[in-house]
Amino acid sequence: MTTRYSRFLAALFCLFLGGLLVWHVLLPDRDRSEVENRTLNQFPAFSWERLRDGSFTEGVESYFADQFPLRDQWTGLKARTEQFLGKREFKGVYLCGDTLISKTEPPRDGLEKNLSYVARLAEGTELPVYLGLIPSASEIWRDRLPEGAESWDQAAFIAQAAELEGVRPVDFLPALSARAGEDIFYRADHHWTTLGAYYGYAALMEALGRGEEVLEAGAFQRQVYPHADEFQGTLYSQSGVHWLPPDTIEFWVEDGFEVTSWREGTPEASALYDLSKLQTKDKYSAFLGGNQPLCILRNPEGKGKLLVIRDSYSDALAPFLALHFEEVHLLDPRYYRYSAAKYARDNGLEAIAVVYSVPNFITDRNLVLLTQKG
Amino acid sequence: MVFSSLTFLFGYLPLTLALYFLTPLRRRNFMLLVVSLFFYGWGEPVYVGIMFLSTFIDYTHGLLVEKYRERDRLARWFVGQSVVFNLLLLGFFKYWDFLAANLSLLPGVNLPKLGLPLPLGISFFTFQTMSYTIDVYRRDAPVQRNIFDFGAYVTLFPQLIAGPIVKYKTVAAELVERTVTSRDFAAGACRFTVGLAKKVLLANAAGALWESCLSSQSAGALTVAGGWTGLFAFGFQIYFDFSGYSDMAIGLGWILGFRFDENFDHPYLSTSVGEFWRRWHMSLTSWFREYLYFPLGGSRAGKARTLRNLLIVWFCTGFWHGASWNFILWGLYFALWIILERFVLKDVLAGTPVLAKRVYTLAVVFVGWGIFAMEDLGVCGHYLAVCFGGGPAWSPLDGYRLGSWAVVLLLLALGSTTLAVDLWGKLPERARRVLAPVLMLLGLTLSTAYLVDGSYNPFLYFRF
Repeated sequence: MTTRYSRFLAALFCLFLGGLLVWHVLLPDRDRSEVENRTLNQFPAFSWERLRDGSFTEGVESYFADQFPLRDQWTGLKARTEQFLGKREFKGVYLCGDTLISKTEPPRDGLEKNLSYVARLAEGTELPVYLGLIPSASEIWRDRLPEGAESWDQAAFIAQAAELEGVRPVDFLPALSARAGEDIFYRADHHWTTLGAYYGYAALMEALGRGEEVLEAGAFQRQVYPHADEFQGTLYSQSGVHWLPPDTIEFWVEDGFEVTSWREGTPEASALYDLSKLQTKDKYSAFLGGNQPLCILRNPEGKGKLLVIRDSYSDALAPFLALHFEEVHLLDPRYYRYSAAKYARDNGLEAIAVVYSVPNFITDRNLVLLTQKG
Repeated sequence: MVFSSLTFLFGYLPLTLALYFLTPLRRRNFMLLVVSLFFYGWGEPVYVGIMFLSTFIDYTHGLLVEKYRERDRLARWFVGQSVVFNLLLLGFFKYWDFLAANLSLLPGVNLPKLGLPLPLGISFFTFQTMSYTIDVYRRDAPVQRNIFDFGAYVTLFPQLIAGPIVKYKTVAAELVERTVTSRDFAAGACRFTVGLAKKVLLANAAGALWESCLSSQSAGALTVAGGWTGLFAFGFQIYFDFSGYSDMAIGLGWILGFRFDENFDHPYLSTSVGEFWRRWHMSLTSWFREYLYFPLGGSRAGKARTLRNLLIVWFCTGFWHGASWNFILWGLYFALWIILERFVLKDVLAGTPVLAKRVYTLAVVFVGWGIFAMEDLGVCGHYLAVCFGGGPAWSPLDGYRLGSWAVVLLLLALGSTTLAVDLWGKLPERARRVLAPVLMLLGLTLSTAYLVDGSYNPFLYFRF
């Protein structure tokens, strides 16, 4: 090595490290990351106490990583490299052709008890209680997973749920399995598509004994609003696989219902769709405007009053239900901390349906709230 | 702070290098002491106190040994004090809970567990400072009268937390006077990048494969194929992790003007277990040889003494790696093989083809990694039983795993040989000049991508 060449190599090394440091310092700090859907760490406040217990330096590390220049691009580069190396799993998400499928892990300590909480809800109320467990893509599309790849057996769990005393099952699994060849899940998001939710709606109505009312799929006008075809969902974010074409969100049911949202403890008028969410990354929350403790849909021409214990899958399902029920109450046990049985009784509801995707059902620590007496 | 972190690479390192090279030559040791203390205090600020204490005690003991050199018993007494101090430091922080838990099993003994966090690198720096007083006593190195220079040696950040274990005599001269040419800097930067890539790109990938196999074990679904895949994955993980870290330390040493001894020499190419240990973590092996095995009499005092000495050294080697029974077992496991090789297998091995000897060595070493990796001896026993036929041979998951990691495993295997070094040596000078900066940028870029990704933590509303 000549001296000149050595200087060149040394300079390259220093420029890479120092250059990114300068860039990091000059780059304005961001408050939140759209792609990661979370607030980013800011530079921590200094105190001697925080220095002594190590939380200050830990805070600096988190800040430094969170505000690193080109954060999303680095992640994309890593996923590309992994693909090049022949990997099929990207942070718990399998890349299956042009589709991302989230791997389902077995339930952790104690969460198998969630089934018994639903049974206790049924014991504590006179109303009929339905349990609809929605299998996720890793179950319905198991044959698309890489050969030999693991994913927890949701079908066995659903079969076990069907045996629950006093609870009537909703057969989402056969309904979705029969349509596995269609686009019933998004390619880069873990939710079901509107088409998937339509089959779910048919199965739920069947379980409620109102199968004959189900509308033909062809009867709907499928609307695609601006930006609805640019949906890059949760699996896009989680995996770092950024090279797949975006999904399209369809809206089948025409709005025009009375929708009341309880977001902050007071009722406010709302709508089936919040199209402003289509401008953001989290476009799925266009359905009902996303998570909320309680949402009530009213249709004077419908009949029956239904309480749905929800997760986010219900947001795409609810517009179909609004067509048939006088009232649909969507209650989220993560935010609504009181007795569901009492709520149903006080509001004159006629049936309770616990509608949950299996991955959510086996990881939710709030379902114990269902056991509260009415 | 660890080298393979964004804060180190893009915060600490560029700032430290700038400060270091802006400091006039005769103040550089002091600057090195300051930045090293900062480095050490980053994770556990309180433990900087240990650095001060350790520096002060070994510094004064070095002076005392020098002062009473003519009165040998007194000098030995001070060497002994320093050794005892270092061993107590190590014993208290690293082994207290283990000893307390095991001694409390005896009737009438009840010692409390303290649960103190382990000071970073304590196993390394206590061994380094111990070597100082011993080297001074043996006249292998001159006494150090400048406490800042000595402090710089004790706290020297490149090898402070994960070795190589730098004996005082190795750097004694450079501590006083050293030069850094741009060639040293460039070579150091290349070496550092190689180490970084080994750690971040290869070791972590191997680690993920090992985790996957281990989780099959806990799910009761381990197969023979999965078991061996896991052992190899772990063996590769620890090799690339540890040797990568040593490469980074050695590279940083060159950049700062120090020449540390090599720590690994392609150990997985060894043709005997004894040779493996001469090529694996060489600074530890030679430390034990020089400061424990030889003082005990080595192998020159008859068969029985040799056996005893080997057992002591390997017990200590195992125990040094961790305060848990599996590490002791692991050390004794190697004692067994080394004794076997020395007294029984010697002639057999001499007539065996090289390839067969390599297979034998790798089998012994990788089964050893099984003992090393699983602290719970029940888990470990079950895992190894499966490897030797105590489970189904194959499952579809093994096919998936091997398929997904095929390229990585190939890279790991080739990376354990001298292939890359040989090829590099065969390239014409011109090609090397073009490739070196390209590879350096590639290594740095990909390592950064993997490190940023490691901190990437999407909150996905998975639940709702």
